[in-house]
Amino acid sequence: MAHVTGLLPPLRLASPTATRELVLFAAILIVGAGFSLASPYFLTVVNLVQTLRAGLELAIVSAGMTLVIIMGGIDVSVGGIMAVSAILIGKSYQAGLSSWFVVPIGLASGTLLGAWNGFLTTKLRVPPIIATLGSMYIFSAIMFLVIGGAWISGLPGTLSPLVNGKVVGIPASLLVILAVYGLCWVLLRQLPYGRHLYAIGSSEQSAKLVGINVDRTKIAAYAILGLLAGFAALLYVARLRNVEINIGTTVALEAIAATILGGTSIRGGVGSLLGTLLGVVFIRIVQNGLVLIGVSSLWETVIIGGLLIVVLTADALGNRNNQRGA
Amino acid sequence: MLFEMTGIVKRFGGLVALDRVDFAVAEGEVMALVGDNGAGKSTLIKTMSGAHIPDAGEIRMAGQPVRFRSPQDAWRSGIATIYQELALAGKMTVADNIFLGREIRRPILGIPFLDRPAMRRRTAELLSQLDVHVPSLDSWVETMSGGQRQGVAIARALNMDARLIIMDEPTAALAVAEVRKVLDFVRRLRSQNKSVVLISHNIQDVFAVSDRISVMRHGRRIAVRETATTTPEEIIGLITGASEVRAAAS
Repeated sequence: MAHVTGLLPPLRLASPTATRELVLFAAILIVGAGFSLASPYFLTVVNLVQTLRAGLELAIVSAGMTLVIIMGGIDVSVGGIMAVSAILIGKSYQAGLSSWFVVPIGLASGTLLGAWNGFLTTKLRVPPIIATLGSMYIFSAIMFLVIGGAWISGLPGTLSPLVNGKVVGIPASLLVILAVYGLCWVLLRQLPYGRHLYAIGSSEQSAKLVGINVDRTKIAAYAILGLLAGFAALLYVARLRNVEINIGTTVALEAIAATILGGTSIRGGVGSLLGTLLGVVFIRIVQNGLVLIGVSSLWETVIIGGLLIVVLTADALGNRNNQRGA
Repeated sequence: MLFEMTGIVKRFGGLVALDRVDFAVAEGEVMALVGDNGAGKSTLIKTMSGAHIPDAGEIRMAGQPVRFRSPQDAWRSGIATIYQELALAGKMTVADNIFLGREIRRPILGIPFLDRPAMRRRTAELLSQLDVHVPSLDSWVETMSGGQRQGVAIARALNMDARLIIMDEPTAALAVAEVRKVLDFVRRLRSQNKSVVLISHNIQDVFAVSDRISVMRHGRRIAVRETATTTPEEIIGLITGASEVRAAAS
């Protein structure tokens, strides 16, 4: 008889073993404690809330990136999607449209650009890293052509409360992050769609055999990532009231780094949103702490890059050790 | 006959891989399919399972003519193939694999939430029907033994209401105890009135579970024997062609 102790499955927020999440959590505590000792400014409400706001867009994009990487894909063009969406948002505001129109425009443009990536990787069979790299070039070119080196500035802050506001003392940006991760968690773990993402990442052939529409599932995942990038663009505009030329330049790589540090396998099939969220927190805390203790922010990229290599090597070794069958 | 193929021809360029093959399986029957490497066994089962489209001939499932353009087509008409590579998602749990693509849903406000308790109940039922022992319904399939994974793959086929289950070398690369287990799965399938096509190189396994044996040689199905009235020597003679040599000499 199969082991059936209680028919209710464990409520899985984390990956099956949850080791990676625990390690990251411990690392966040240790690094946080270190920075608190090194700088009196680190562990202050003002600093932490500021870090949270600055990390809002990365956190949102990373949730979508987790879905795409679990499915065995990748998208290096999310920064470009953010940029093009932000430009559309900015131009729409400048044209005098109200937020009632601008918000759907921002979300729709992100979704469409994401779906475009999905179309390239499924219908045209371009490997995702190449397809989205091409998209990245195209999207950046569009941005340069439209704004030509100047900022779009003086935009209204209608949505600013989502970033800067507070609800019964809780920063609104924290609530936004929790809402996005909550919805993505439902999608990934409580709906058939999420099972299909894991299945495609784990064995695309097996997903096809049981009749899952693999192409449609993939396009939808890229579109969801695009939607979140569009949402991030709205929050970016709300936060800065500008569209700057450097928008989104680092977000793709940081989102991939946060996802991988959080335990999602770059080969697909494995991963958790909680891990990604911890990955985002870790990256942002390291960035913030290093600035506070007066270390060049270049070191932050060295640290994150080094950690990525360590994590990927450890995964590769672990995989070699417990490989079983095909 | 539950499943019937008549006059199946499959050519690859100039090579005739299947030469007017007739093949049939009755309901609740275990039909073994044997033959040397290159005799056409794999091509035949790929034609049954929708992976190959025959150049000529007819396939009938439960009396109805069918044409499979893909493995999904065959799957939909109740033919499940348990491949050697099994086509399970390794990094998913037993229940996830069994219900992949046909999840039990419990819609709330139109949103199709997964009904995990129901899927786990059904999974436990299916596994106990087949007498499959797994460490836990929540362990990843890739951490399980070959026999356990065969069990999960068969349970998935049963859950898909498969009526004909094709097993391609299910006992190859398994430990002795596991082989016994897999043969036991075959017997259990028969007792539930499912039909099984068993491809195997192992004559001992074939004689242990099959009702009839079809022998392939050079792309033709040269003989069908009742397992109860034949001998391993006769079957091996048919596979290797020794019987033809003897016939020619006499």
